[in-house]
Amino acid sequence: MPSIHPILPALLVLALAGSTPAAEPPETTLLAVLASDAGVHEKARACQQLAVVASPAAIPALAGLLDKEPLADYARSGLEGIPGPAAAEALRKALPRLEGRLLAGVVNSLGVRRDAAAVADLQKLALDPQRGVAAEALASLGMIGTLEAAKILDTALTTGPAELRIPAAHAALAAATHLAKAGNPAAARDLLKDVSRALPAGSLTAVAQRLLDALPAS
Amino acid sequence: MTPHPTRRHFLKTAALAMGMPTIIPASALGKDGAVAPSNRIVVGAIGIGPRGREDLAAFLKQPDVQFVAIADVQEDRREIVRRMANKRYGNEDCVKTRDMFEVLGREDIDAVLIATGDHWHALGIILAAKAGKDVYCEKPCSMTIRESQELADAVNRYGRVFQAGTQRRNVDNFRFAAELARNGKLGRIHTVHASILPLGESHDWLPAQPEPAVEVCDWDRWLGPAPWRPYNKNYVQGRWRGYYDFHGGAALPEWGAHTVDLCQWAASADDTTPVEFEAEGETIHARYASGVKLVMRLAGFKGEGKWLVPGTCPVRFEGDQGWIEAADSGKLVASSPGLLEGGPSTQMAGTDPTQHVRNFLDCVKSRAKPAANADVTRRGHIVSHAASIGWRLGRKVNFDPATETFVNDAEANRMCSRARRAPWHA
Repeated sequence: MPSIHPILPALLVLALAGSTPAAEPPETTLLAVLASDAGVHEKARACQQLAVVASPAAIPALAGLLDKEPLADYARSGLEGIPGPAAAEALRKALPRLEGRLLAGVVNSLGVRRDAAAVADLQKLALDPQRGVAAEALASLGMIGTLEAAKILDTALTTGPAELRIPAAHAALAAATHLAKAGNPAAARDLLKDVSRALPAGSLTAVAQRLLDALPAS
Repeated sequence: MTPHPTRRHFLKTAALAMGMPTIIPASALGKDGAVAPSNRIVVGAIGIGPRGREDLAAFLKQPDVQFVAIADVQEDRREIVRRMANKRYGNEDCVKTRDMFEVLGREDIDAVLIATGDHWHALGIILAAKAGKDVYCEKPCSMTIRESQELADAVNRYGRVFQAGTQRRNVDNFRFAAELARNGKLGRIHTVHASILPLGESHDWLPAQPEPAVEVCDWDRWLGPAPWRPYNKNYVQGRWRGYYDFHGGAALPEWGAHTVDLCQWAASADDTTPVEFEAEGETIHARYASGVKLVMRLAGFKGEGKWLVPGTCPVRFEGDQGWIEAADSGKLVASSPGLLEGGPSTQMAGTDPTQHVRNFLDCVKSRAKPAANADVTRRGHIVSHAASIGWRLGRKVNFDPATETFVNDAEANRMCSRARRAPWHA
């Protein structure tokens, strides 16, 4: 049953590939692109390259794009990659001035960076229905997965609005995994029990029970 | 198919509740060669193009599969799939939708087939796992090392059965070759060879074209977690490969998902990765902590590579007592004829997903791990991505299989992840 279809991707790749990788331009060159009147494509590419080479010196330029469509996602790509606390701080500082999709993106980046310093900001967003990113904030708290984040998820599960119980449960499952890996199975166990208590019996409570069973005995 | 007899029980109790006769036709209970509803696996699909339709055909010919729904952002593609399914069952029951969440939200669906563009694979797997679905997903399943980790973590956390579309693990000649290596028939394995495509990635944008109506092609949803760029019909017609934003790992995982994966298996290295990668032109040399070498070299489209077996996706396994080579033609070549004794009697195309799909379906029922499960997929894909990062940097990189990070190499580690376009997240 050989067919042409499985080979088509390969042929398409061949048509496009075979290039030699070029070293990324220096940071100063890329920042100059962002500061120029270059087009969206050029600036988008500069952000992607900065994701690999940027130092903290690039943070103001990238943070300045967080409210600019369509470059905001590209700028987040740059900021997610910069090591150290300054990039996370810039993401946190952008939270008050963003809304909608752009706010959700920055909330997600803080989760990806597992920025423990963002827990308080994410708690506010999780509790504020007006900002419209409560579910995303809970998800990021799950990715951060510290004890402090777990306490907020616990509150969301036990006393939070009903419509947030499911996203809070998914976040709690992620956080429990982090807590267990970090050597705190007791906290993981408490959080998983909260999931079981907060939701009617179903697939998520079954997952929580399975994870509970897999934890080392206390 | 849930592991408990809930559907059979439901059939009887629902019949009672609705005042219907409780004498259920024999065909519904599995007589006459039919599979009882309680033993059927209800399947939906997300994003089905040409390769996905080959996978779907393999699903449709399984007697215990009931395919019920297709979600695709392109109307012409979802209509083709709807017709395929309805023709198979002789009815008009297959539902088509633009929105994958309509498929993921259906409680009657046990498993999903995902064959979107690569940039959607990992997120699709994660969303499906969170929705409680078992997943068969085309390869490559990830765009980055991070996505390889995320997809496996989600599958394991939610306890789902997962099979990557790396069907060569269930194609006879490849499996025979790998088992020969694993069983010591080649002696101590010292080198495994994986064919790859020419490496490269384009950062170009095709010229902007007017976006079609959302019901014809939902461009925003097609992009999904990939960064925004203007619409061009070439992307949605399948010519997205080779573009950095849609095709991870500089094209290495395109075949590496198969061939590197087979080498991992043959080298008994499914639970680890090499510890170093170094590119030499378009050949990448890797080494495991055990000392086994993994060589990723061109596939031989233009006569390069010096492969002995005709066909795409060749692999070669070398031990100190012999070697064997396999490729998509279904053929095998070995250092001595005796090594081929007991090998497959027929030649099966390496692209045929039938046995791999069957393996997945059997595991959906048994809850065992399929051949290309999430853990195997995680590491095999990480190897491909790590190799491509070494190639991109043009220097040797060292990798820690335990932490799945590059050793003392901030530059390489920054290439392990990409931001997802909001609001998409894992």
